[in-house]
Amino acid sequence: MKVHYYKLLMLFFFICSVSFAQEKDISGTVTDDKGLPLPGVNVLIKNTSKGTQTDFDGNYVISANRGAVISFSYVGFTTNDVVVGDNTTINIKLAASAAELEEVVVTAYGVSRKSSVTSAISTVGSEDLQDFVPSTSIDNILQGQAAGVQVTASNGRPGNTAFVQIRGVGSLNASTTPLYVIDGVPIPITDNDPTRSLNPLSNLNPNDIESLSILKDAASVSKYGSRGANGVVLITTKKGKKGDAKIKFTSSYGFGQRIADPFDLMNAEQKLEIERQYAELGVAVATRLPGATSSPQELRDLIALDTDWEEELLRKSVIQSNSLSISGANDKINYFFSLGYNKDTGIIDRIDGFERITARLNTSYQAKDWLGIDTNISFARSTTDLPRDRNNVQNPFRGVYDYNPYEPLFSRDANGGILLDSQGNPVYNPTSTSFPIARALQTETDSTRDFLIIGNVAANLTLSDKFSNRFSVGLVSNRLNRTRRSIQGGVLQGFVGDSQFPGTQTENAAIDFEYNIANLFSYNDTFNDVHNISASFLLEYNENIRTDLFVNARGFPSPDIPYIEVAAEPTRAGSEEDRRILFSQAIFADYDYDGRYIASFSVRRDGSSKFGPDNKYGTFASGSVAWNIAKESFMDSSFFNDLKLRASYGTSGNQNIPDFQYLPALGFENSYNGFSAGSPLRAANPLIQWESQAILDIGVEFGFFNNRINGVVDYFKKNSKDLLLNRPISFTVGDEDNGIFQNIGEVENSGVEFSLNADVIRTENFTWSLGGNLTILDTKVKKLINGQDIVRGTFGNIILREGENINSYYLVEYAGVNPANGAPQYVDLDGNITETYSDSFQKIQKGKTPIADLQGGFFTSLKYKGFGIRGDFVYRGGNYILNSQRQQGEAIGNINRNLRTDAFNYWKEPGDTNVLPSPLFRTTADQAGTTRFLEKGDFIRLRTLTLDYNMPRKFLDVIKLDALRFFVTGQNIWTITDYNGDPEIGIGSAESGEQGDAGFVPGEFSLFSYPQVKSYTFGVEVGF
Amino acid sequence: MNNKFYIIGILFLSLGFFACDDELNDLEPFTEAEPSAFLTTPQNFEIVMNGVYRQLWLYYSDPGSGLQGIPDIISDNVILAQTGRRSNADYYDLRYVASTLRAIPLYWSEAYEAINGANLIIENISNIDGTTEQDNILGQALAARAWAHFDLARIYGQIPTQSAGANGTLGAVYLKAEDGDTGSTIEDALAEPARETIASNYEEIIEDLERASTLISEDSNGEGTLNKNGVEALLSRVYLYNGEYQKVIDAANKVTASLATAEELPDVYIDNTNAGVVIELSINTSSQSRGNNVGVLYSQSSRGETVSEYVMDFDFFNSIDATDVRKSVLQFVGINDDIEYNAIKKFLGEEGQTNGLVDVKVLRMAEVILNKAEAQFELGLEADALASLNELREVRYSPYVAGTETGVALEDAIQFERRVELAYEGHRFFDLKRRGEGINRNATNGDIIDGTGTPPTEATLPAGNFRFQFPIPIGEINANSTIAKQQNPGY
Repeated sequence: MKVHYYKLLMLFFFICSVSFAQEKDISGTVTDDKGLPLPGVNVLIKNTSKGTQTDFDGNYVISANRGAVISFSYVGFTTNDVVVGDNTTINIKLAASAAELEEVVVTAYGVSRKSSVTSAISTVGSEDLQDFVPSTSIDNILQGQAAGVQVTASNGRPGNTAFVQIRGVGSLNASTTPLYVIDGVPIPITDNDPTRSLNPLSNLNPNDIESLSILKDAASVSKYGSRGANGVVLITTKKGKKGDAKIKFTSSYGFGQRIADPFDLMNAEQKLEIERQYAELGVAVATRLPGATSSPQELRDLIALDTDWEEELLRKSVIQSNSLSISGANDKINYFFSLGYNKDTGIIDRIDGFERITARLNTSYQAKDWLGIDTNISFARSTTDLPRDRNNVQNPFRGVYDYNPYEPLFSRDANGGILLDSQGNPVYNPTSTSFPIARALQTETDSTRDFLIIGNVAANLTLSDKFSNRFSVGLVSNRLNRTRRSIQGGVLQGFVGDSQFPGTQTENAAIDFEYNIANLFSYNDTFNDVHNISASFLLEYNENIRTDLFVNARGFPSPDIPYIEVAAEPTRAGSEEDRRILFSQAIFADYDYDGRYIASFSVRRDGSSKFGPDNKYGTFASGSVAWNIAKESFMDSSFFNDLKLRASYGTSGNQNIPDFQYLPALGFENSYNGFSAGSPLRAANPLIQWESQAILDIGVEFGFFNNRINGVVDYFKKNSKDLLLNRPISFTVGDEDNGIFQNIGEVENSGVEFSLNADVIRTENFTWSLGGNLTILDTKVKKLINGQDIVRGTFGNIILREGENINSYYLVEYAGVNPANGAPQYVDLDGNITETYSDSFQKIQKGKTPIADLQGGFFTSLKYKGFGIRGDFVYRGGNYILNSQRQQGEAIGNINRNLRTDAFNYWKEPGDTNVLPSPLFRTTADQAGTTRFLEKGDFIRLRTLTLDYNMPRKFLDVIKLDALRFFVTGQNIWTITDYNGDPEIGIGSAESGEQGDAGFVPGEFSLFSYPQVKSYTFGVEVGF
Repeated sequence: MNNKFYIIGILFLSLGFFACDDELNDLEPFTEAEPSAFLTTPQNFEIVMNGVYRQLWLYYSDPGSGLQGIPDIISDNVILAQTGRRSNADYYDLRYVASTLRAIPLYWSEAYEAINGANLIIENISNIDGTTEQDNILGQALAARAWAHFDLARIYGQIPTQSAGANGTLGAVYLKAEDGDTGSTIEDALAEPARETIASNYEEIIEDLERASTLISEDSNGEGTLNKNGVEALLSRVYLYNGEYQKVIDAANKVTASLATAEELPDVYIDNTNAGVVIELSINTSSQSRGNNVGVLYSQSSRGETVSEYVMDFDFFNSIDATDVRKSVLQFVGINDDIEYNAIKKFLGEEGQTNGLVDVKVLRMAEVILNKAEAQFELGLEADALASLNELREVRYSPYVAGTETGVALEDAIQFERRVELAYEGHRFFDLKRRGEGINRNATNGDIIDGTGTPPTEATLPAGNFRFQFPIPIGEINANSTIAKQQNPGY
């Protein structure tokens, strides 16, 4: 999709908008009862589809005939109707309305008035989303936006998703990702098996999203039964607003770059010098390096090469986004149409990054008074280039740090000229790593194409004023194609290729398909004006099917034909299918007395194909109560607009575990001597069932000074038990992994969440608002298999121990350098300081975990006339990160690679303190799993800073536009941290450990994964 | 609009959902199968039998720790090449403990997987009652079960002839489906069985093998499988280990295979012929190009160089006569970093290859003859023993001169031929062990072709040392409180 298409479209709409403006223009300002302008007020001509909204100054213009009725409506205010007379200026003052003040919140299986909600739900509105780079995925955007929601970007790769944990870590082996539901359709996310991973979130267009509701406590998640334990994120997409078609076009363009390191790498001169020093000390490897072997002239030549590998391997990314939406509604029909295009080239030079095209149409049609039909459908197509993400020479980010600065990008001939191949192209320097990564990025490619469809159709039947029924069918289908190539003459072919069969290629096609059929039958009634009762009965059937196909071939006639059709022979092929079914019945009931005393109750029974006959069904229930103190008569004269106490308790489950664990199984993956072979795969646990969870939540919601200050405080205690742990079993059982999944473990997450928003200043020309949230979290391991510790983490540096925090570090304690001889010292198990190192010295680092004790976000927003500035900060504290990247940059054994300048600071003579170990102690010094590299991960980061300018009405009138906004956004532009690197770490090294790998713990260590990026984008938003 | 009508209609529609229970219960695994449901036809039994062979192959052929090589690496047949990757140094340097990775957990784990597969066949064999294939399949399963248990017993326990009290010491857990040792309940999965004595292990191994020999087909069941010859050959080895010498001779005499000739011998190791091979675990290199390359235990080639992990012991190489055709089967000059070594040639790969991808030679006719010769000697039948030995020597020396040894010289000759004939095929450690001898490496010779270089760190392991029995792996100790109390002495 090219920009000039949009230009054509824009021109077209310009013409239309001119033709609209033929009638008499009415203009004016809408203010509240205190005279402050109200932006976003709906201004409609009654009995027509014509309408507009006020701008941020409260100004509007609408064309209308004399005698027409203009209706001004705004949430929280009484609607005002005015008949058009002779005046072309109509200024309106809207009165606050108690009845309509009610905000509506999207809740589990429905919507509720905010005041009658009895559970802990955080919401994020579209205005909070608009400042993020649109190619960012939804889950990344949630960071810092809602209390109790911990979001960590997986890494900085464009199009990658985030780790989202709601209220701590609720599972040890099953997935901890919340359930995402978009317009009632659950989105399948598979992240407990790296070979089958699926996460469609990165293919949603954030511009389509109206609001996000995050369900956190039992009262709401219990309604999702066996899928609710990790919390639920409800995504609601946009609808048209009453009135004429509104056309909005947004375009932005920007650049991103790697966030600079807080340390320096050596330049050529420094690197050669440290090689010389190491060699002088007698470090054997160093004696063969150029720093030790070169003549003064050779040294001068090498220094002259001084290569900045970051410059050679990375680049500034280009971030581009265009989106168009057309929306509107009348009494019968409501529509929202959108197109989106996003591109982020990523910061790795020579490969593409992420590109996405999306389209959506949401409609609802009132076919009869008693029948409404809704259809939401969206398509997304994206492509992603995947660089290698492992801790070796194939990783470009490792290359940036590893390649020696005296080695140039291109090989040199004897005269120092750039070496050319037979085609006259410069030859990439294999460097001392033997792996020319700049070339490998071009010859060893890996890319994915995803095509996602999310759709749902629903019929709403109003059977009477008391009974209604909603029947809906939703589906999510994702087709993944992945192509991995190693082309002939490429880098890897030189290592593993077969010269008779040049080039290899692997094609993968996976189709995930999930459909969901739900019927919700509801009853609402009011007795004696004060007893409000509602009840619903839900039936839901959900089936997920995944099919997967791959083929691998070798022997390509030309690197230019990337299709297996032309390959000499296929080498491997495979296909498989997975399926799971969930069938649920549920009853939800709510009662409130006069809006003051509210009670809710839910019970759900889930049947899952994942579990054996004995445990096929599970029942989950919750109860909650709330007291709207503000609605009591004794509060009439108080300054509180809102004061609500609420409490809830209930259960939910987590069924994100591998399928068919209840059956013993034969596997056929491998053949024997070319023939089919069936081998015992696993021992069965017929008793396996979901992990279960109970959450207690007590909360207070308050709002005062006309709701200009409002907030929520929640205390929660989440007890997760029956957690699946792989219990080691006797090898004599003869299964594949010598373990069996059993529902044994128990953990507890408890904490307090605060959120507060305030409109500090609100005058006609100037507003200042700020807000933020804070979550304090405590985690505890309550029960493990026979009380035995479990050592986990990608490199065995994390431990689970009863009574301690979840995922405590398990490391050897470093005791500094012995000032007498420069030897690194460690603490043995008896507490003695020793110069020897042993893995057996590992011990728990109490209270130190990758999980933050406190985290959250805050924002501040200033608006003066047309100008606005908003800054969103995220922060985190109390977590630790194993800085393995620093270990690599200081490692003595890496003397043949580039090092950090800090490496000069090694022990040189007796008495030296605050130094690195002497290079003579390589074996004991180069140990990564020690507290030497454990650093605090605290940080505050300016996640986004947006400056914008909204064109005032008087100018807009001239150019015949509804709205025109210019903005500049900076992301990740400022960070405060003591961490020696970038502290925002999810994945340390994807191919070593990522979601679904055994023992993987997000944020445990940093090791050259795709780094976070800071970016600047400029954009414009036009409304017709 | 009649509300009641609609409400009834909706409720009716809702009830339709209740039929979903069937959908829920009927879902079955897609790429896996429940064993008892799968084992219903002879063909399917054969597929699971292939799985059993594969499990055996897994621990024999493992490129890091295959049983085809580790018993040589722990013995006096090799020396560690300093320019290699120092793989298996914990084993070569005789410092393995219960938590040492690779070989120790591998054999214990994979052998029991083979046993589990064999037991599934035995447990369900009645599903194919009356078919012609039934006996042959059952025979193979019993023999494979015995084979895997035999490996466990000789690796983790003593060998009956090793010491006077060996039979009373602890061996493996012998698992038999017939005795209710297996099953698919949670209790079965969490069982913590105890090790049994060596005497009891060997009794059950022999019982299974003897029963197998009455059931199994005399014809070949295909490359890489067992038949009657294989069972009898295995019995000759097991009886030898158990000190039942007459039975060794009887079993050996039942093996109808012939020895590989001097001309055939080099081709045996590049898989051009199976002459003289009675039991092998095979790899189909055209369809399993990613299979275990067993030869990597000894060396791999990298950019034209031979990166040897272990090379021939200098004394051992020099003890082989120039007239011995096996000398060139065993050795080639491997060069790495410009240093020449007596590199090990067996298992380099198929013809022209150096990828280490070849069939595992588990039991060859030569061993059967050597088993017989040794048993004959033990029974005092020296003339018979010499005749058996000469039968082998006749096809190994060129020119051949018949041997005439007697007494100790004959015994030494049998053991020398055994060492040379079976070198690098996973025998030396067990042969020293079962004969109650120690490991004596030359403490001064180095790894390089002329005997210079770095000598072994640990030169000797005295007879009777606890390290002749591998420790039970830490994983088993942690998961099985019964065996936790039965760890081998010394660990």
